[in-house]
Parts: sequence; structure tokens; C-alpha cells
Amino acid sequence: MSVYEKIGGDAAVNAAVDIFYRKVLADDRISDFFDTVDMDAQHAKQKAFLTMAFGGPNSYTGKDMREAHKNMKLTDVHFGAVAENLVATLQELEVPQESIDEIVAICLSVKDDVLNV
Amino acid sequence: MNAVVFEGEPVALADGESVLDALLRQGHSIPNGCRAGVCQSCLLGAEDDVHIGAAQTGLSDAQKQLNYFLSCQCVPAEVINVRRVDTAGSRVEGVVVEKRQLNEQVWLLRLRADFDYLPGQYVTLWRDDSLARSYSLASLPSADGVIECHIRHYPGGQFSSWVANEAQAGDRVGVQGPLGKCVYSGDSERPLLLAAIGTGLAPIWGILRTALAQQHRGAINVVVGAKAPSDFYLHNELQLIAAMQPNVAVHLVCQDELAGTESFAVQQADIYQYCKQQFADMKGYGVYLCGAQTFVSKLRKQCFLAGANMADINADIFIPFGGP
Repeated sequence: MSVYEKIGGDAAVNAAVDIFYRKVLADDRISDFFDTVDMDAQHAKQKAFLTMAFGGPNSYTGKDMREAHKNMKLTDVHFGAVAENLVATLQELEVPQESIDEIVAICLSVKDDVLNV
Repeated sequence: MNAVVFEGEPVALADGESVLDALLRQGHSIPNGCRAGVCQSCLLGAEDDVHIGAAQTGLSDAQKQLNYFLSCQCVPAEVINVRRVDTAGSRVEGVVVEKRQLNEQVWLLRLRADFDYLPGQYVTLWRDDSLARSYSLASLPSADGVIECHIRHYPGGQFSSWVANEAQAGDRVGVQGPLGKCVYSGDSERPLLLAAIGTGLAPIWGILRTALAQQHRGAINVVVGAKAPSDFYLHNELQLIAAMQPNVAVHLVCQDELAGTESFAVQQADIYQYCKQQFADMKGYGVYLCGAQTFVSKLRKQCFLAGANMADINADIFIPFGGP
């Protein structure tokens, strides 16, 4: 059973997305990347990201990840900030540590593509 | 070379040019209104759905299945085959019943038109086949079938100048719609924030009265922002509602300094700061934001950061006419 199924699938994504996006928008290290006129589109992107991070059904490839984050000059600080906000979100929702570890591992697996290194 | 094939006739597409712009340039008569993807007056049909996905925002599932798309929003990457579609069928005839001025700039236009809608939705009004503009509905559905729009008169604006200077009882106007999803949710216990600037008050006025008609029990906060005190309208009616309904509070917030001679209760403040202070914890709120894009965007973010759920923040964004 994937961690996505374990923590409740789409319902878990829906529960997490507002909390996560709010944290990201309030985080000065990264808020500029997420602050946009089109909050609906950004909100949808956060949902897609969480679905991927939870190991749910998604069609992202490493190439997509690379392409989407190209020219953003992202560093370890940015990646770490997103990861921290994600972990804090999951803790707030009382997701078991074991599942959080699995989710962090999925995020780390795309780190090089996101940072374009 | 990229092209749009319009009912068999190829028309070259310049780099970044929309299908609508190319067809108009070629002399084809394509109805159009806002040119910003809102009014749906420039609908065309495509042979297949390959290049039109981005130009289908806001269309119904049925329209999408028919491969309808908004030609003003469509910049295809490759040659695309398109045709006219019958949008006249989606219009009903409206007849002007009354017009009157609500303040120096804003006119109330009342039309008799028979169709179903929910307060807070908007319609596209057609003066003739080439002049269409979208307006939010301020009325509640009623047995007499009269709808109301608040129309701000922009000097030089074609439709609003017609309303202000020429329209009279008996004139005919095509009514297309309704469109939009900024409607009362029916959750009667939660606190509400209804915020408007300018004629964003039209949908808010409809949503407020719907909430009251459905016996909304949570607190209802109506915030209306304006630059100068003379920009307010319907403020006496709003304050009367607040005086009679214990759960309704009305906040009139004015950007300019007050002269002190205002005949109604109004506060001078920055509307964003004002909302931040008044509504610091918005967890569980139903939020309705209506008016110009910058106002809605800024306040939406603020409400979200204050704890409102994205799904509970409804917006009616007024997009300015995008044409020449």
C-alpha cells in the first residue's frame, strides 16, 4: 500500500493543500515564487505537488520537474523551506512519522531535477 | 506559416495573435465583447479539441464537448479549423423597463428578461450583434422576471454611454447567460464576509439579500470600499438592513479624507488594513469578493492567510474591456 493510500488518498491532499499553501505564502524565503494573481491556478499546482509527494497517481517525469523549475535559480534553502513547510503541515494533520519519512524520501528523489543540478 | 481556417477559408495568424483578432483583421464579422475571456460573446467551434483547451475556461461541460472555445483567448500553436456557432440560441430578449442614476457614475438598468439565474451570477448584454458587455446581476429572481444591473458610466465606453445617454424604456437588449459561480453557498451558520468596491456591490447586494431570504444565522459582514464618499450608493439601504437585522454589520470604508459633512456613517481607512484588523481570524468564513482584479486578488490572499479555506472564497472579478 502506498503512503498516498495509507494517509487517505485525495481526501488527505484536500486536507493538506490549504494548510501547506498558506504556510508557503507566509514564508519569506519562498513566498515570492508562489505569490501570484492567479491563486486558483497556484492552488491547483500545490494540489498536484502534494499528490506527487504523497506517492499518488501523477504523471510527472524528472524532465517535467526540471523544465518547470528551470531559470528559477533555486537553491538548497528554497528546497529546504518547501520541505519544512510540508513536514509541518503533515505534523499538524497528525500524519504518523513513518509516513512523513516516506513522503520526505519521495521529495528528496526529485531534488536534483527541481534544483536543475 | 500558422493559420486559422475559418469555414474553409485560411486566414494567416501573426505571431501571438488570437483567432478573434486575425478574423476581425481579415474583415470577418465575429461578435465580441470583453476580449478578456469573460463575456463568452466570441464563441466559435473547432473541428477537434487539440488546440483550444486553454481557451475553454469558464465554459460548460456541454460547450466543451462541442469543442466550443473563446476565440479571443485562443492563440493556437498549429493550424486550426474553426466555424461559427449559434450563440443567438443562448440569448433571450430583454426589454428595458427602467433606468435611473444611483450616484454620479453608476446607473441602475432594469430589464424584463425571462431566464433562471442565481444572485451573484453575471450576464452578457447585447446592444446589437457587435456590441456586448458583461454585468453582474444585482437582483433576486422574481415573478415579474425583471433583472437589475449596476452600470458604471465610463466616458467613451460604448455600452455604458448608451445606457447613460440613450437607453429608454422599451429598448431591446439581448441577454446571454447566466455565467459565473459567485453565489450564496447555503451554509447558514458560518460567518460571512461580503466585500465590494465600485459596482462590485451589484453581486454583493444580490448575495446579501439571498442570505437574508434564506435566513442566514451566522454573522454577515458587508464591507464596501470607495475612493470618495460620493462614490457610495445603496448605502442608506445597506444601513437600514444593518439596523433591522441583528446579525448584519455594514462597514463603509473610504480611502480619501472625509469632509466631516457626510450624511451617513463612513470611516476613512485603507480597506486592506481595515479588513486585516476587523477580520484577523477568518477560519470557517464564507467569503465573497467582488470588484476590480487588484482588489479581489489582494483581499483573497489576505483572507486565505487569515485562515479562510480557498474553496470558501468566492470571487467575481471585473475585467476591463480588452479591445481597442
